Amino acid sequence: MLVGAFACAHTPQLLIRPETEDRELVLRVHAAFGRVKQRLQALRPDVLAVVAGDHIEAFFLDAVPALAVYVGTECAGTFGPYQYRMKIHEPLARAVVEQGVERGFDLTYTQHAPLDYAFYVPLHFTMPEPALPIVPLHVNVYLPPQPTPRRCHEWGAALGEIFRARPERVVLMASGGMSHFPGTDRYASPDFDYDRELLDTLRAGRGRELARVAGEELDKRGNIELRTWITLLGAVGDVRAEVYCYEPSWHHGNAVVEWAL
Amino acid sequence: MEEAAHYRFPPAAAYPLNRCLKALKSDRAFAERFVKDPRAAAREHGLSEDEARLLDPLDRDALVARGAHPYLVFMAGLRLKMLREPGKMELF
Repeated sequence: MLVGAFACAHTPQLLIRPETEDRELVLRVHAAFGRVKQRLQALRPDVLAVVAGDHIEAFFLDAVPALAVYVGTECAGTFGPYQYRMKIHEPLARAVVEQGVERGFDLTYTQHAPLDYAFYVPLHFTMPEPALPIVPLHVNVYLPPQPTPRRCHEWGAALGEIFRARPERVVLMASGGMSHFPGTDRYASPDFDYDRELLDTLRAGRGRELARVAGEELDKRGNIELRTWITLLGAVGDVRAEVYCYEPSWHHGNAVVEWAL
Repeated sequence: MEEAAHYRFPPAAAYPLNRCLKALKSDRAFAERFVKDPRAAAREHGLSEDEARLLDPLDRDALVARGAHPYLVFMAGLRLKMLREPGKMELF
């Protein structure tokens, strides 16, 4: 069953803070992560299914999957001085691949790939104790052509059906967003107005409208990673979002959101 | 995707350049070799002298104009900064 859903920023500067980052802002995002951790403890999930956009870490230009599932026993990665290793809920991961393919999604799966910081940063701050196994779900956000928002939404709807039919208590977490433009001349000018409008849409329970957004629009708004949220929205339907925080830094709209199911 | 997009289809000719940037981002041993001798490290990926020059210091706009992926340029720069100035980062 699907028992909870969250979206979390994964800005690396929340984990490793250079002098350029406002410390108080970073701590406010950490406080919102702390609320997620408390909620996770209350929800008693058996597994966290995490949708993240690969940051050209698990996959390079040798092969670029639109949608992929990590189906191993455990996964590991590094980011700067951090080295991490997490258990995978293999039965659920395998069910997602098998049932996803059965439903018409031509998924890639991997049994060995580095775990991107997009997965690690939110889990570093929100993972309950003892640690839960995860199912990493990859969506291509950085290497065009990316899957369309409509396709992400459809995939999310399928994920929701798969999770609801399972015996495990599953929490779905989308990692990423909101507006930011790393490596471009827009880096210091994210589109915070777009983010705020979007959060109002989600608060109103109108998340399905995002399935109609064009991929070009996401690129223009610094929200290519919103594909992970749109995937989640396919699973949660018309549930209203509760925004734990929206903290715009000089280069990134940091949001933490819950959909109480 | 229109040409004005921030993140564009990576041209195949830029594959070695993107592979080198990916290694700077994700391969700590390579990044450490790069810090010691950028030109020699760039040669490991078969980059030209011209391309190697753009990597040290990182010339974002020139690299992107050659087909480098903007995110890889960004994160390669951040990882090099983390290596060169570790004391200036607060770890959580």
